[in-house]
Amino acid sequence: MATKKQQEMLDRKKALMQGGGEKAIARQHSLGKYTARERIEKFFDEGTFTETGLFVKHRCTNFGMEKKDLAGDGVVTGYGKVNGRLVYAAAQDFTVVGGSLGEMHASKIAAAQEAAMKVGAPMVCINDSGGARIQEGVDALSGYGRIFYNNTIASGVIPQISVIMGPCAGGAVYSPAITDFIFMVQGTGQMYITGPNVIKTVTGEEVTGEALGGADAHNRISGVAHFSCANEDECLNQIRELLSYLPSNHLDAAPSYECSDPVTRADEALDSLVPENPNRPYDVKDIIEKIADNGYFLEVQEAYARNIVTCFIRINGESVGVIANQPKVNAGCLDINAADKAARFIRTCDCFNIPLLTLEDTPGFLPGTAQEHGGIIRHGAKLLYAYSEASVPMVTVIMRKAYGGAYIGMCSKHLGSDIVYAWPDSEIAVMGGDGAANIIFAKEIKAAEDPAAKRAEKLAEYQQMAMNPYVAAARGYVDDVIMPHDTRRAIAGAFESLKGKQVYKPRKKHGNIPL
Amino acid sequence: MSVKTFRIVMDGVEHIVEVEELGGVSAPAPAAVSAAPAPAPAPKKKASAAPSAGDILAPLQGTVSAVNVKAGDSVKEGQIVAIIEAMKMENEIAAPRDAVVAGVSVNPGDKVNADDLLISLK
Repeated sequence: MATKKQQEMLDRKKALMQGGGEKAIARQHSLGKYTARERIEKFFDEGTFTETGLFVKHRCTNFGMEKKDLAGDGVVTGYGKVNGRLVYAAAQDFTVVGGSLGEMHASKIAAAQEAAMKVGAPMVCINDSGGARIQEGVDALSGYGRIFYNNTIASGVIPQISVIMGPCAGGAVYSPAITDFIFMVQGTGQMYITGPNVIKTVTGEEVTGEALGGADAHNRISGVAHFSCANEDECLNQIRELLSYLPSNHLDAAPSYECSDPVTRADEALDSLVPENPNRPYDVKDIIEKIADNGYFLEVQEAYARNIVTCFIRINGESVGVIANQPKVNAGCLDINAADKAARFIRTCDCFNIPLLTLEDTPGFLPGTAQEHGGIIRHGAKLLYAYSEASVPMVTVIMRKAYGGAYIGMCSKHLGSDIVYAWPDSEIAVMGGDGAANIIFAKEIKAAEDPAAKRAEKLAEYQQMAMNPYVAAARGYVDDVIMPHDTRRAIAGAFESLKGKQVYKPRKKHGNIPL
Repeated sequence: MSVKTFRIVMDGVEHIVEVEELGGVSAPAPAAVSAAPAPAPAPKKKASAAPSAGDILAPLQGTVSAVNVKAGDSVKEGQIVAIIEAMKMENEIAAPRDAVVAGVSVNPGDKVNADDLLISLK
């Protein structure tokens, strides 16, 4: 039998656990959304969540706020286990005044961030909030600022994952934006700096919230988000899966798993997946499947800049980040968005000690004024910078085309790749054959009686001499030319040999990546 | 706006001219090359300027090397409806969904810019 004071504590907790009350919870459910507590329950391993700051209260006395009791100040924070590993989380509670963020609400999130950093555990923040609690004025803004600051300080220390399961508008978007991964739920998750109403007032443009800042908009068009999920259950499961590829912090290695798929598995189908005709496209994901453990990969930013594929796979049970040109989309060209996407992914992997595998087949950078004036020089530079800066083990497989600047940029030996393999059909050259032959043999072609025949003859000569992997291999820029079916074994061996890799670089505050 | 190439014969002399339409949407190539000087393509109606969500646009600048469908054809999601040659690659253009082709705006050999209308779906 509980004493009076014990009973009081139990009653207080019970009341606080109700969040915004039955009516608000029913409304939340009617929108196809779980409550903050239900999300936490479903996300963590069963029965492992420990809440912190349940009794935290706001201290605002403006506009009648002193009379309002807000359960947990509208956010649930704490820690628990995901597949047995410690993870911190904050979940905004939309049933409590729309999950609006006030000083103490922010303070709880900041405390969770700081704790996660101290112990080196990932931080997951589930966003479902109407925005700043207006009554708290600048105190709410101060709260946001503290969270953004912590996001930045924690960047590269612990994995940070943002989940958008409701509105996330105005300044609030900058917490997710600073984190490593953003998950959005289709139909309910929305992010924008200014919402449809403001846009209509200011510019007259009419747009729905979903079209403006829904999961599709940010996964396919803006590239802000990394994962688009059909519903909240799928989303929470996918976050758990993503965490399985990541270490808990920058000093740890990603967890390794028992591998039932022999690394010596040689898939003969690989030998014919890349068409011999360099003008024919193919789906590079078919190749990734054949190389990865159990043919499985987790794609990041699947719908954005599809001309480059970024995904996590396992090789012999260990996490590997893959960057692959996608010949099936826009010829596999490098462009502004592809460079941004790949550079960000490379840096994410490098922060967290995840080795990089680059699969190369690209005709080069996309030409045109849109690209040049859009700053392809500045954006393409990010890709070269990210590879050069990375200190994790890096293995490159040149599958077919590797020309000019794109050859250098796609993790060539020159930018720090540890081991470069090439397939026998690969063409490693300063540019495509036609262009090169036209320049080198310009005089001879012009002087010839039949310039077309001469051009064809010289092109064949050039192709024979330069469009192969052996010139680069002769210089040691390619470590070996291998059969495609041998790739899985070769890269598994390469990564195994690189486990102890250490890179020593000059001391500095931090580099200055072109942004 | 796309640049289109026309052959004009004046006084028995053949001229190849490039015509660029400004401020409108590139119209489909005329069925027959007119002998009249400077055959400017008829501008499309303003209403069709904004492609609807179901239309298939050119993903990148290049040359149409094949069109595999015609108006009235049924297409399945993922079916290759056209090929644009660009960056020395035959870029396969797939139907984004099951649909019926409402109209085809390009012919093999046409040069297209990114986001030019290729095929409209209904």
